[in-house]
Amino acid sequence: MLRFDATKLIVSLAGDRAIVANLGPSTDELWHAGHRDKNFYTYGSMGLCSSIALGMAVSTDEQIISLDGDGSLLMNMGTIATIGREQPRNLIVVVWDNEEWGQTGHQPSHTAKGTDLAKVAESCSIPHTATVSDLEELASVFRTALEEEGPWFIVAKIEEAGYMPVAPIEPELTIYRMRDSFMGQ
Amino acid sequence: MNWAETIVQALKDWDTSLIAYVPDISIDRVTSLIEADPFFHLVSASREEEAIGIAVGGYAVGRNAAVFMQSSGFGNSVNALASLCIPARTPIPLFINLRGGPGEFNIAQVAMGRSTRPILDLLGLVHFTLEDEYKMDRIVDGALKLCHSNRQPVAICMTQLLHGGKIA
Repeated sequence: MLRFDATKLIVSLAGDRAIVANLGPSTDELWHAGHRDKNFYTYGSMGLCSSIALGMAVSTDEQIISLDGDGSLLMNMGTIATIGREQPRNLIVVVWDNEEWGQTGHQPSHTAKGTDLAKVAESCSIPHTATVSDLEELASVFRTALEEEGPWFIVAKIEEAGYMPVAPIEPELTIYRMRDSFMGQ
Repeated sequence: MNWAETIVQALKDWDTSLIAYVPDISIDRVTSLIEADPFFHLVSASREEEAIGIAVGGYAVGRNAAVFMQSSGFGNSVNALASLCIPARTPIPLFINLRGGPGEFNIAQVAMGRSTRPILDLLGLVHFTLEDEYKMDRIVDGALKLCHSNRQPVAICMTQLLHGGKIA
Protein backbone atom coordinates (compact mmCIF):
# COMPACT_ATOMS: atom_id res chain seq x y z
CA MET A 1 0.00 0.00 0.00
CA LEU A 2 1.42 3.36 -1.00
CA ARG A 3 0.97 6.24 1.45
CA PHE A 4 -0.34 8.58 -1.25
CA ASP A 5 -3.06 6.13 -2.29
CA ALA A 6 -3.94 5.61 1.37
CA THR A 7 -3.97 9.36 1.98
CA LYS A 8 -6.33 9.92 -0.95
CA LEU A 9 -8.58 7.20 0.48
CA ILE A 10 -8.66 8.87 3.91
CA VAL A 11 -9.40 12.27 2.38
CA SER A 12 -12.19 10.80 0.25
CA LEU A 13 -13.84 9.29 3.34
CA ALA A 14 -13.11 12.13 5.80
CA GLY A 15 -15.80 14.53 4.60
CA ASP A 16 -15.42 17.84 6.41
CA ARG A 17 -13.45 16.43 9.34
CA ALA A 18 -10.14 18.01 10.35
CA ILE A 19 -6.97 16.12 9.41
CA VAL A 20 -3.57 16.71 11.03
CA ALA A 21 -0.54 15.45 9.09
CA ASN A 22 2.92 14.53 10.29
CA LEU A 23 5.82 16.55 8.91
CA GLY A 24 7.49 15.64 5.62
CA PRO A 25 5.88 13.27 3.11
CA SER A 26 2.66 12.88 5.14
CA THR A 27 2.07 16.62 4.95
CA ASP A 28 3.20 16.87 1.31
CA GLU A 29 0.93 14.03 0.23
CA LEU A 30 -2.05 15.38 2.16
CA TRP A 31 -1.58 18.63 0.28
CA HIS A 32 -1.34 16.85 -3.08
CA ALA A 33 -4.36 14.70 -2.22
CA GLY A 34 -6.34 17.95 -2.25
CA HIS A 35 -6.04 21.01 -0.07
CA ARG A 36 -8.83 21.71 2.41
CA ASP A 37 -8.95 24.42 5.07
CA LYS A 38 -9.36 21.69 7.66
CA ASN A 39 -5.97 20.18 6.75
CA PHE A 40 -3.39 20.95 9.43
CA TYR A 41 0.03 20.56 7.85
CA THR A 42 3.09 20.37 10.08
CA TYR A 43 6.56 21.42 8.99
CA GLY A 44 8.59 20.78 12.14
CA SER A 45 7.92 19.71 15.75
CA MET A 46 8.58 16.07 14.88
CA GLY A 47 6.55 13.78 17.11
CA LEU A 48 3.74 16.19 17.91
CA CYS A 49 1.23 15.36 15.15
CA SER A 50 -1.03 13.22 17.34
CA SER A 51 -0.51 15.56 20.32
CA ILE A 52 -1.88 18.42 18.22
CA ALA A 53 -4.77 16.20 17.14
CA LEU A 54 -5.43 15.31 20.80
CA GLY A 55 -5.57 18.99 21.73
CA MET A 56 -8.10 19.51 18.95
CA ALA A 57 -10.16 16.48 19.96
CA VAL A 58 -10.59 17.61 23.57
CA SER A 59 -11.62 21.06 22.34
CA THR A 60 -14.32 20.23 19.79
CA ASP A 61 -17.08 17.68 19.34
CA GLU A 62 -16.04 17.07 15.73
CA GLN A 63 -14.02 14.02 14.79
CA ILE A 64 -10.31 14.65 14.36
CA ILE A 65 -8.01 12.52 12.22
CA SER A 66 -4.25 12.33 12.82
CA LEU A 67 -1.98 11.02 10.05
CA ASP A 68 1.16 10.24 12.03
CA GLY A 69 4.32 8.27 11.20
CA ASP A 70 6.12 5.44 12.97
CA GLY A 71 9.44 7.29 13.37
CA SER A 72 7.74 10.43 14.61
CA LEU A 73 5.47 8.64 17.05
CA LEU A 74 8.46 6.73 18.44
CA MET A 75 9.86 10.13 19.37
CA ASN A 76 6.79 10.96 21.47
CA MET A 77 5.31 7.62 22.52
CA GLY A 78 4.08 9.23 25.71
CA THR A 79 1.33 10.87 23.72
CA ILE A 80 -0.19 7.43 23.09
CA ALA A 81 -0.49 7.09 26.87
CA THR A 82 -2.00 10.57 27.14
CA ILE A 83 -4.59 9.67 24.49
CA GLY A 84 -5.35 6.53 26.48
CA ARG A 85 -5.73 8.61 29.63
CA GLU A 86 -7.95 11.24 28.01
CA GLN A 87 -10.07 8.77 25.98
CA PRO A 88 -11.22 11.30 23.37
CA ARG A 89 -14.13 9.59 21.65
CA ASN A 90 -13.68 11.74 18.56
CA LEU A 91 -10.01 11.01 17.79
CA ILE A 92 -8.79 8.68 15.05
CA VAL A 93 -5.02 8.18 14.84
CA VAL A 94 -3.69 6.59 11.67
CA VAL A 95 0.01 5.73 11.74
CA TRP A 96 1.73 5.45 8.36
CA ASP A 97 4.18 2.70 9.30
CA ASN A 98 6.92 2.24 6.69
CA GLU A 99 9.22 0.69 9.31
CA GLU A 100 11.93 3.19 8.46
CA TRP A 101 13.07 6.78 8.71
CA GLY A 102 12.40 7.43 5.06
CA GLN A 103 13.57 11.02 4.87
CA THR A 104 16.95 10.46 6.50
CA GLY A 105 18.32 7.60 4.44
CA HIS A 106 15.81 4.76 4.91
CA GLN A 107 17.29 3.55 8.19
CA PRO A 108 15.07 0.85 9.76
CA SER A 109 12.86 2.16 12.56
CA HIS A 110 12.03 0.25 15.74
CA THR A 111 8.85 -1.08 14.13
CA ALA A 112 11.10 -3.06 11.75
CA LYS A 113 12.79 -4.57 14.78
CA GLY A 114 9.92 -5.73 16.92
CA THR A 115 8.02 -2.68 18.21
CA ASP A 116 4.27 -3.05 17.61
CA LEU A 117 2.65 0.36 17.97
CA ALA A 118 -0.87 -1.09 17.91
CA LYS A 119 0.01 -3.20 20.94
CA VAL A 120 1.49 -0.15 22.62
CA ALA A 121 -1.80 1.65 22.02
CA GLU A 122 -3.76 -1.32 23.33
CA SER A 123 -1.66 -1.38 26.49
CA CYS A 124 -2.35 2.34 26.93
CA SER A 125 -6.10 1.62 27.16
CA ILE A 126 -6.95 2.79 23.66
CA PRO A 127 -10.07 0.69 23.09
CA HIS A 128 -9.97 0.34 19.30
CA THR A 129 -6.72 -0.66 17.63
CA ALA A 130 -6.04 -2.27 14.27
CA THR A 131 -3.19 -3.04 11.91
CA VAL A 132 -3.95 -2.96 8.19
CA SER A 133 -1.77 -3.65 5.18
CA ASP A 134 -3.88 -2.91 2.12
CA LEU A 135 -6.34 -0.28 0.94
CA GLU A 136 -9.40 -2.50 1.32
CA GLU A 137 -8.61 -3.23 4.96
CA LEU A 138 -7.84 0.42 5.64
CA ALA A 139 -11.11 1.53 4.05
CA SER A 140 -13.08 -0.99 6.07
CA VAL A 141 -11.50 -0.13 9.44
CA PHE A 142 -11.54 3.61 8.81
CA ARG A 143 -15.23 3.57 7.86
CA THR A 144 -15.94 1.75 11.12
CA ALA A 145 -13.84 4.31 13.03
CA LEU A 146 -15.92 7.13 11.56
CA GLU A 147 -19.08 5.43 12.79
CA GLU A 148 -18.04 4.13 16.21
CA GLU A 149 -16.76 6.09 19.17
CA GLY A 150 -13.01 6.10 19.69
CA PRO A 151 -10.32 6.75 20.38
CA TRP A 152 -9.09 4.72 17.43
CA PHE A 153 -5.50 3.80 16.67
CA ILE A 154 -4.90 2.30 13.23
CA VAL A 155 -1.44 1.20 12.14
CA ALA A 156 -1.30 1.19 8.33
CA LYS A 157 1.68 -0.66 6.94
CA ILE A 158 2.89 1.21 3.87
CA GLU A 159 5.64 0.94 1.29
CA GLU A 160 7.87 3.91 0.70
CA ALA A 161 7.72 5.34 -2.83
CA GLY A 162 9.22 8.37 -4.52
CA TYR A 163 8.58 11.63 -2.75
CA MET A 164 6.16 14.22 -4.07
CA PRO A 165 7.09 17.90 -4.40
CA VAL A 166 7.25 19.72 -1.07
CA ALA A 167 3.93 21.34 -0.19
CA PRO A 168 3.83 25.12 0.38
CA ILE A 169 5.39 25.83 3.78
CA GLU A 170 2.72 27.99 5.40
CA PRO A 171 2.49 27.26 9.13
CA GLU A 172 0.70 30.48 10.05
CA LEU A 173 -1.80 30.20 7.21
CA THR A 174 -2.38 26.57 8.11
CA ILE A 175 -3.40 27.18 11.71
CA TYR A 176 -5.43 30.32 11.14
CA ARG A 177 -7.30 28.79 8.17
CA MET A 178 -8.29 25.91 10.42
CA ARG A 179 -9.12 28.16 13.37
CA ASP A 180 -11.32 30.32 11.17
CA SER A 181 -13.09 27.25 9.81
CA PHE A 182 -13.99 26.22 13.37
CA MET A 183 -14.78 29.65 14.78
CA GLY A 184 -16.86 30.71 11.79
CA GLN A 185 -19.41 28.00 12.53
CA MET B 1 -6.32 36.76 46.00
CA ASN B 2 -3.08 34.82 46.43
CA TRP B 3 -0.69 34.27 43.52
CA ALA B 4 -2.31 31.00 42.48
CA GLU B 5 -5.81 32.49 42.46
CA THR B 6 -4.52 35.49 40.52
CA ILE B 7 -3.26 33.23 37.73
CA VAL B 8 -6.53 31.30 37.61
CA GLN B 9 -8.49 34.55 37.36
CA ALA B 10 -6.27 35.85 34.54
CA LEU B 11 -6.72 32.62 32.59
CA LYS B 12 -10.48 32.99 32.95
CA ASP B 13 -10.38 36.66 31.97
CA TRP B 14 -8.62 35.62 28.75
CA ASP B 15 -11.00 32.72 28.18
CA THR B 16 -8.12 30.24 28.37
CA SER B 17 -9.76 26.97 29.29
CA LEU B 18 -7.46 24.26 27.92
CA ILE B 19 -4.46 23.72 30.18
CA ALA B 20 -1.76 21.17 29.35
CA TYR B 21 0.87 20.52 31.97
CA VAL B 22 3.50 18.30 33.45
CA PRO B 23 3.03 18.19 37.23
CA ASP B 24 5.31 20.27 39.47
CA ILE B 25 5.05 20.52 43.23
CA SER B 26 5.80 24.24 43.42
CA ILE B 27 2.99 25.27 41.09
CA ASP B 28 0.62 22.54 42.18
CA ARG B 29 -1.34 25.21 44.03
CA VAL B 30 -2.38 26.62 40.65
CA THR B 31 -2.91 23.40 38.77
CA SER B 32 -4.94 21.96 41.68
CA LEU B 33 -7.28 24.96 41.48
CA ILE B 34 -7.52 24.45 37.71
CA GLU B 35 -8.26 20.77 38.08
CA ALA B 36 -11.06 21.46 40.54
CA ASP B 37 -12.67 24.16 38.39
CA PRO B 38 -15.12 23.00 35.71
CA PHE B 39 -14.24 26.04 33.57
CA PHE B 40 -10.99 24.29 32.67
CA HIS B 41 -9.97 21.09 30.93
CA LEU B 42 -6.63 20.06 32.41
CA VAL B 43 -4.62 17.58 30.34
CA SER B 44 -1.75 15.80 32.05
CA ALA B 45 0.98 15.36 29.44
CA SER B 46 3.86 12.92 29.62
CA ARG B 47 6.43 15.51 28.51
CA GLU B 48 6.48 19.25 28.04
CA GLU B 49 6.81 19.32 24.26
CA GLU B 50 3.72 17.14 24.12
CA ALA B 51 1.92 19.71 26.27
CA ILE B 52 2.85 22.40 23.72
CA GLY B 53 1.41 20.28 20.91
CA ILE B 54 -1.84 19.72 22.82
CA ALA B 55 -2.17 23.45 23.49
CA VAL B 56 -1.57 24.32 19.83
CA GLY B 57 -4.20 21.79 18.82
CA GLY B 58 -6.74 23.44 21.10
CA TYR B 59 -5.91 26.86 19.71
CA ALA B 60 -6.23 25.54 16.15
CA VAL B 61 -9.90 24.76 16.72
CA GLY B 62 -10.69 28.01 18.51
CA ARG B 63 -9.94 27.36 22.17
CA ASN B 64 -7.34 29.39 24.03
CA ALA B 65 -4.77 27.22 25.78
CA ALA B 66 -1.86 27.56 28.20
CA VAL B 67 0.95 25.29 29.39
CA PHE B 68 2.38 24.79 32.89
CA MET B 69 5.82 23.29 33.41
CA GLN B 70 9.08 23.53 35.32
CA SER B 71 12.23 25.08 33.83
CA SER B 72 13.75 21.62 33.33
CA GLY B 73 10.76 20.81 31.16
CA PHE B 74 11.21 24.05 29.25
CA GLY B 75 14.40 22.43 27.99
CA ASN B 76 12.28 19.56 26.69
CA SER B 77 9.98 21.90 24.82
CA VAL B 78 12.35 24.19 22.92
CA ASN B 79 11.93 22.57 19.51
CA ALA B 80 8.15 22.59 19.84
CA LEU B 81 8.29 26.33 20.48
CA ALA B 82 10.84 27.00 17.75
CA SER B 83 9.36 24.87 14.98
CA LEU B 84 5.64 25.00 15.77
CA CYS B 85 4.55 27.92 17.95
CA ILE B 86 6.84 30.58 16.51
CA PRO B 87 6.38 29.91 12.78
CA ALA B 88 2.64 29.31 13.23
CA ARG B 89 2.32 32.38 15.50
CA THR B 90 0.36 30.72 18.28
CA PRO B 91 -0.31 32.72 21.45
CA ILE B 92 0.34 30.05 24.07
CA PRO B 93 1.18 31.42 27.56
CA LEU B 94 3.84 29.36 29.31
CA PHE B 95 3.77 29.30 33.11
CA ILE B 96 7.20 28.11 34.19
CA ASN B 97 8.43 27.28 37.67
CA LEU B 98 11.91 28.78 37.40
CA ARG B 99 14.48 26.69 39.25
CA GLY B 100 18.08 27.60 39.93
CA GLY B 101 17.53 30.84 41.83
CA PRO B 102 17.88 31.79 45.51
CA GLY B 103 17.04 28.78 47.66
CA GLU B 104 17.81 26.15 45.03
CA PHE B 105 18.98 22.97 46.72
CA ASN B 106 19.68 20.77 43.68
CA ILE B 107 22.78 21.28 41.52
CA ALA B 108 21.08 19.40 38.68
CA GLN B 109 18.42 22.11 38.41
CA VAL B 110 20.74 25.09 38.24
CA ALA B 111 22.03 25.09 34.64
CA MET B 112 18.66 24.60 32.94
CA GLY B 113 16.94 26.93 35.35
CA ARG B 114 19.47 29.68 34.77
CA SER B 115 19.48 29.21 30.98
CA THR B 116 15.70 29.31 30.58
CA ARG B 117 15.41 33.09 30.20
CA PRO B 118 18.49 33.43 27.92
CA ILE B 119 17.00 30.74 25.66
CA LEU B 120 13.66 32.59 25.62
CA ASP B 121 15.60 35.70 24.61
CA LEU B 122 17.36 33.83 21.81
CA LEU B 123 13.99 32.59 20.57
CA GLY B 124 12.69 36.15 20.63
CA LEU B 125 9.97 35.25 23.13
CA VAL B 126 8.87 37.79 25.72
CA HIS B 127 9.09 36.72 29.36
CA PHE B 128 8.21 38.13 32.75
CA THR B 129 9.54 37.00 36.11
CA LEU B 130 7.40 36.97 39.23
CA GLU B 131 9.22 37.15 42.56
CA ASP B 132 6.31 38.35 44.67
CA GLU B 133 2.62 39.20 44.40
CA TYR B 134 3.17 42.95 44.03
CA LYS B 135 1.40 44.12 40.83
CA MET B 136 1.16 40.49 39.87
CA ASP B 137 -2.43 40.74 38.63
CA ARG B 138 -1.45 43.53 36.24
CA ILE B 139 1.67 41.71 35.07
CA VAL B 140 -0.12 38.43 34.34
CA ASP B 141 -3.10 40.13 32.71
CA GLY B 142 -0.75 42.29 30.64
CA ALA B 143 1.36 39.29 29.67
CA LEU B 144 -1.70 37.46 28.37
CA LYS B 145 -2.81 40.55 26.44
CA LEU B 146 0.65 40.85 24.87
CA CYS B 147 0.66 37.12 24.11
CA HIS B 148 -2.51 37.47 22.03
CA SER B 149 -1.68 40.80 20.40
CA ASN B 150 1.76 39.52 19.35
CA ARG B 151 0.43 36.04 18.52
CA GLN B 152 3.49 34.39 20.04
CA PRO B 153 4.08 32.46 23.25
CA VAL B 154 4.85 34.52 26.36
CA ALA B 155 6.59 33.01 29.37
CA ILE B 156 5.64 33.85 32.95
CA CYS B 157 8.50 32.63 35.12
CA MET B 158 7.56 31.96 38.73
CA THR B 159 10.40 31.84 41.21
CA GLN B 160 10.85 30.25 44.57
CA LEU B 161 10.46 33.72 46.09
CA LEU B 162 6.90 33.80 44.76
CA HIS B 163 5.66 30.31 45.47
CA GLY B 164 7.89 29.09 48.29
CA GLY B 165 9.84 26.56 46.28
CA LYS B 166 10.08 22.84 46.11
CA ILE B 167 9.72 20.83 49.26
CA ALA B 168 13.18 19.24 49.54
